[in-house]
Amino acid sequence: MPAAARREDPADGPEQPSLLPTAAYSGWEAIYADNIERIYRLMYSKVGNRHDAEDLTSQVFLTALGPLRTTASVGEVRAYLLATARTVLAAHWRATLGHQVTVIDVAGVDLEDFTGAAEPERAGRAARRIASILSGLPERQRAVLTLRFLRGYSVKAAAAELGVSVANAKVLQHRALRTAAGLDQEGEAS
Amino acid sequence: MKRPIDRYVDSLLRRRRPKGFAPTEDDLAVARTAIDLVAAAPDAQRPREAFVEELRHRIAEQQNAAEPPPPLPAGHRARGRRRFLAATALTATGVAAGLAGGVAVDSAASGPASPNPDTEADLKATVGTWQTVVAAADLPEGAVKEFDLGAVSGFVQRVSGRVQAVSGACTHQGCRLNLDSAHRQLACPCHGATFTLAGAPLTHPHNPHPLPALPRLPVRIDQGRIQVYAPASGALRPGNQDPT
Repeated sequence: MPAAARREDPADGPEQPSLLPTAAYSGWEAIYADNIERIYRLMYSKVGNRHDAEDLTSQVFLTALGPLRTTASVGEVRAYLLATARTVLAAHWRATLGHQVTVIDVAGVDLEDFTGAAEPERAGRAARRIASILSGLPERQRAVLTLRFLRGYSVKAAAAELGVSVANAKVLQHRALRTAAGLDQEGEAS
Repeated sequence: MKRPIDRYVDSLLRRRRPKGFAPTEDDLAVARTAIDLVAAAPDAQRPREAFVEELRHRIAEQQNAAEPPPPLPAGHRARGRRRFLAATALTATGVAAGLAGGVAVDSAASGPASPNPDTEADLKATVGTWQTVVAAADLPEGAVKEFDLGAVSGFVQRVSGRVQAVSGACTHQGCRLNLDSAHRQLACPCHGATFTLAGAPLTHPHNPHPLPALPRLPVRIDQGRIQVYAPASGALRPGNQDPT
């Protein structure tokens, strides 16, 4: 993983941070440098794995940069990239699970994040979302999801930490996800 | 006893690419939750540098194959036209083919205006296609239709015998514009900006700066169909056009 230190400077160029929506990019390289991380991050948040996120990010840029005139303003370019991303993600879900598991909300929160929510704000929002997912869960379900998803524990390690068998940990995790997804309201009945 | 949804979640946790399966409604909800959680993990955030570099190369190849970047001066009207011309050249395998194929919409298309025919005639389409948005007969003089081609959505209208298409994304923050037929203008649901049907900015409430005009989209009439030039991808289904 690249050092977390290079926060302010998305990939390139000293003049990047304060682009106004009405400014224009100097060329596709500037568009790319300014938006690659945004698009990737957005895609990752929608598919949850690097492989798909990379593929979909590639598709967005290869699709959008072809017909795009670089004289368009920054705001136009971003809107266009976001619209393209929405389409690409929709096609991905059609092809894999046949349903729109996640969508890009072109007019809402995704747009805000995408067009420049500051890092802490975005992180805060992500944290709140996770907190809201986990908060409704019984203690042990919350524990297993935290260990597995947020702290990278293997099933085995999580089982050991929780003092249950591996099989039980799997069941617990499955149940926890269902509860978190709003499916089983009754909670941790064994 | 391993359910497909468990395998799916497992792949996410192992940082692998999950495989598709035929999910139930419950499975979808679980997958959605798992994706939210996985995406919140601390190592999830930034793209790999190798990936960023590799994609940059791919784009560079695509760009070099497609076109020399024209360093155009600012100015919206001029830009719209240039864009139209470039896209026309891009589509047909040459300007001549474009004319033969029935680019009859905008006098600029057939006009001698191309500033640099030698360069532009060499341009080849790599990703865009002409996509039908409405039958020409269904767009009488003065009519406006909304269209959505997936990557591109907008409005097409016929005024003074000419067909025009503009992007339907507000130039403020990209919200999708609504057609206000009564006032013959486009209105943004997010912050109330309005545009003319030709794309010129009208109002932008609570903000002293006028917005940029809506980008014009390349449009043509081909065999009785009005078509817009838009990025092609697997996502763009021809059945998706449904002008309302």
